[in-house]
Amino acid sequence: MAMTPRSVGLGMAILATFATWTVLFLPGLTAPNTPSDIVRPLTPKERLGRVLYIKNGCIACHSQYVRPTDWDYSGLRVSQRGDYIYDRPHLLGSERTGPDLSQEGGQHTDDWQIAHFINPRYPRPASIMPRFSFLSPNEMDALVAYVQSLGGKMADQRMARQRHWHKLLVAAYHRGADYNASYLRSLVPPQWSTMPNPYPATQVAVAQGRFVYEQMCINCHGPLGDGNGPAAEWLDPKPFNFTLLKRHRWSGGLIYYQVMNGITGSAMPYFKEDLESAKIWDVANYVAVHFIGKNIDSGNDLNGIPVSRESAPPAEHEPYPGAKPHPVAPSPYPPPQPPLPPHPP
Amino acid sequence: MSHFRFLDDSPGSTARRFIISGAIWFFVATVVGLVAATELVAPDLVGARGLLFPRIRPVHVNTNVFGFLSMLLVGCILYAVCRLSRAPLYSEKLGNLAMWIWNFATLAGLITIPMGFTQSHEYAEYVFPIDVAIVVALVMLTYLVFRTLARRTEHLLYVTSWYAVGAFVATLIVYFLGNVMWHAKTGALTGMNDAEWSWFYAHNIFGTWITPLALGLSYFWIPRESDNPLYSHALSLLGFWPYFAFYLQVGTHHLIEAPAQPWLKLIAEINSVGLLIPVYAFLTNQWLTLRGRWWKVPDSVVLKFIFAGTVMYFFTSTEGSLEALPSFQRIAHFTNVTVGHAHLGLLGFSGFIACGAGYGVLREMYGEIWSERLAHLQYWLMLIGIGGFTFVLTAVGLLQGSAWRNGETVYRVLPEIFPFYIERAALGCFIVTGAAIQVYNYVRTAQAHRQRSERALYAVDDTAIALRREAEVAGD
Ligand code: HEC
Ligand code: HEC
Ligand code: HEM
Repeated sequence: MAMTPRSVGLGMAILATFATWTVLFLPGLTAPNTPSDIVRPLTPKERLGRVLYIKNGCIACHSQYVRPTDWDYSGLRVSQRGDYIYDRPHLLGSERTGPDLSQEGGQHTDDWQIAHFINPRYPRPASIMPRFSFLSPNEMDALVAYVQSLGGKMADQRMARQRHWHKLLVAAYHRGADYNASYLRSLVPPQWSTMPNPYPATQVAVAQGRFVYEQMCINCHGPLGDGNGPAAEWLDPKPFNFTLLKRHRWSGGLIYYQVMNGITGSAMPYFKEDLESAKIWDVANYVAVHFIGKNIDSGNDLNGIPVSRESAPPAEHEPYPGAKPHPVAPSPYPPPQPPLPPHPP
Repeated sequence: MSHFRFLDDSPGSTARRFIISGAIWFFVATVVGLVAATELVAPDLVGARGLLFPRIRPVHVNTNVFGFLSMLLVGCILYAVCRLSRAPLYSEKLGNLAMWIWNFATLAGLITIPMGFTQSHEYAEYVFPIDVAIVVALVMLTYLVFRTLARRTEHLLYVTSWYAVGAFVATLIVYFLGNVMWHAKTGALTGMNDAEWSWFYAHNIFGTWITPLALGLSYFWIPRESDNPLYSHALSLLGFWPYFAFYLQVGTHHLIEAPAQPWLKLIAEINSVGLLIPVYAFLTNQWLTLRGRWWKVPDSVVLKFIFAGTVMYFFTSTEGSLEALPSFQRIAHFTNVTVGHAHLGLLGFSGFIACGAGYGVLREMYGEIWSERLAHLQYWLMLIGIGGFTFVLTAVGLLQGSAWRNGETVYRVLPEIFPFYIERAALGCFIVTGAAIQVYNYVRTAQAHRQRSERALYAVDDTAIALRREAEVAGD
């Protein structure tokens, strides 16, 4: 074939026609456009928030689709084509410098979201998201409304729960710290609130807990644990002050439960996605030792061995200095068999 | 350059101005990129909303693609097309007009995106009026290329000109359709269909625009600089048609894990792997053209840049085909692996070829480069920069991908990737310095010497053609 400007140009036009037909027009014509079970149109305010999301380029760091392999906050449901039928333009994104936002709605309360946009390092001390404090109150409102709508009807359900509990928590908070503390305790199942921290508050454990506190909690509960971190200004109810209410019942299980699940309706987020179990026990020890001034561990000296149901065997050697003696219950298991005689050669 | 004329009609002025504009935009875009990289390390660095990371990241990207790469490559390709057809540009005035429109479009984008005017699709952020300006300039340039080729006195159409024609024709279609220009306000369709369209566009702005222009310039310079005939006409053909046929259909490989149509993903995956055929055909052709002349590579700054570009083309394309496979994508998608790949492709491959070709054109126009030593220095700075980028971004991307796959949250991984972000910003300094050297060197070259006459240019022009003829005669 002779390569002339005309043949090359024509060939290219034919190729482009063929390709656009297969990869652009055909998909458009054959695409199923049925709504998914969770999608709903946005309200006018949420639409305004979406415009702000676009203007401010949030798509540079946030994706909006969940893959079958994803965990994180939005790893609740794999995205479907029908989730996007109202989106124009699409905001799928191609990078996750920050977490996916497909299911962001209702994960946090509105006051958490506002504090986060004012300065992401308030609720999330290690964040690299820029501040959006320049938004006017109206714009902030709209952006929060949009973010809280992400996840469609699933988000609406979560928001309904957040709002319900938010009212109760605000009421409790404004009846005084004492009342509030008792109220919060009434929300924790008794098997948790009576459980001591199974891991001892050793020096290392507390140091590890401190690291977690500095990465996760410090700008809300404050460096002194008095609830006066910089985020507090934007939150209602305010972050809990650990230093005042020593006479209330504190236990490792109580803190663990509240940190793992958060306190729905308040800015206190859940950490079950961010922190593994051992880290939650450690931060509970740190909070107890440093701020509350109580040791809430069980006195279990079995450091390094997983805490299981059977009680410890009698100590065969001196406990290490500092370990608290604890009563030894008879073991429910038969004593171990004597070792087998050596195998004959 | 004694008296400045807005619509200059002196021969070569279009190419020269395109090239120098491209060099200036390269510097601007990389400075913006450096600020953006620093903000990822120090998010509270600036408070002004227009300078926040999410607003300047698209400025960095678009200024690089449309300012730096497009302008530098267009300038060089216009020059190459003239030389290869042994005819002056059809109209320098029209070319200059296109050059100004293109410059104003880039400048307008630089201003409007930070103000929040964006259509949000990647690489298509420019709002409607800027899109119109670019399409108008594209139409003018396409017309120029066709009219210039129609006046050619050299009968043979060399490979570089195929790529020029192919790129301009295909890009006109891709740009218009991909920007959904009949919806002026949003520039978007609805839902997943919108995603499929916008990724068709985003992929092809590289596939039918940046890359073919760079490939064409490699075909132009490697035989000339090495004084060897082009290795094979058959490989040129194999590298050309399949290239466009495959490339136009791979857009959906950006959506492998999104709920795009499954058959469309399959088409994209197959074509992405198929792309390796024209890619390797091209590379074989270029590298075998250098046979017996490898020693020339380190001496000629032009050849050095362009050869390095082809090597990085090898890596980025091979990596790209891997990324299109679901098993690799599972770890790499959404991470900095993609960012590394994009830099290797745009800066490493097409950027190196553009910079080298720019030096080549200016050297021919003005007799010599103002400072060869500075050019070599620039080469090494940029090579350290892009090599480091690729390494750091790929490493951090794999780290992110595997941590996420293991259930760590994005927030928890931030402190782990922090040191990499610092390295990345530091490496950015090398590239910015390289870009600054380039502007200085280009401008000084154009100032220090008198431009050669068109007649003198003809004297040097025909090596590539002659050599290729020789290859044909030899029965290739
Ligand atoms: C530089 C990249 C970046 C940009 C731009 C950015 N974010 Fe973020 N975003 C992050 C990172 C990193 C996190 C995780 C740490 C945190 O929560 O702050 C995050 C977290 C979030 C979260 C909390 C997710 C959760 O449940 O913990 C929301 C909501 C959010 N971003 C919304 C936005 C919105 C809305 C915009 C645009 C106005 C935006 N982000 C712009 C990086 C970014
Ligand atoms: C976004 C701010 C915020 C962050 C971050 C945060 N908290 Fe809270 N936390 C709160 C708020 C607000 C409350 C009080 C809710 C109420 O009074 O209704 C609270 C309550 C608590 C309580 C309940 C105290 C009680 O006696 O009932 C505990 C325990 C706690 N936080 C621990 C932590 C730990 C540990 C971390 C870090 C892993 C953390 N919080 C991170 C805001 C925060
Ligand atoms: C065989 C050739 C190539 C193939 C198969 C290929 C494939 C891919 C794939 C699959 C992605 C998406 C990665 C992801 O999101 O997970 C991607 C991204 C990208 N590629 Fe390539 N690539 C190739 C060559 C190139 C070249 C030569 C360039 C530059 C000229 C380039 C520029 C880019 C850019 C800029 C992105 C980033 C897109 C974004 O913003 O997400 N690619 N490529």
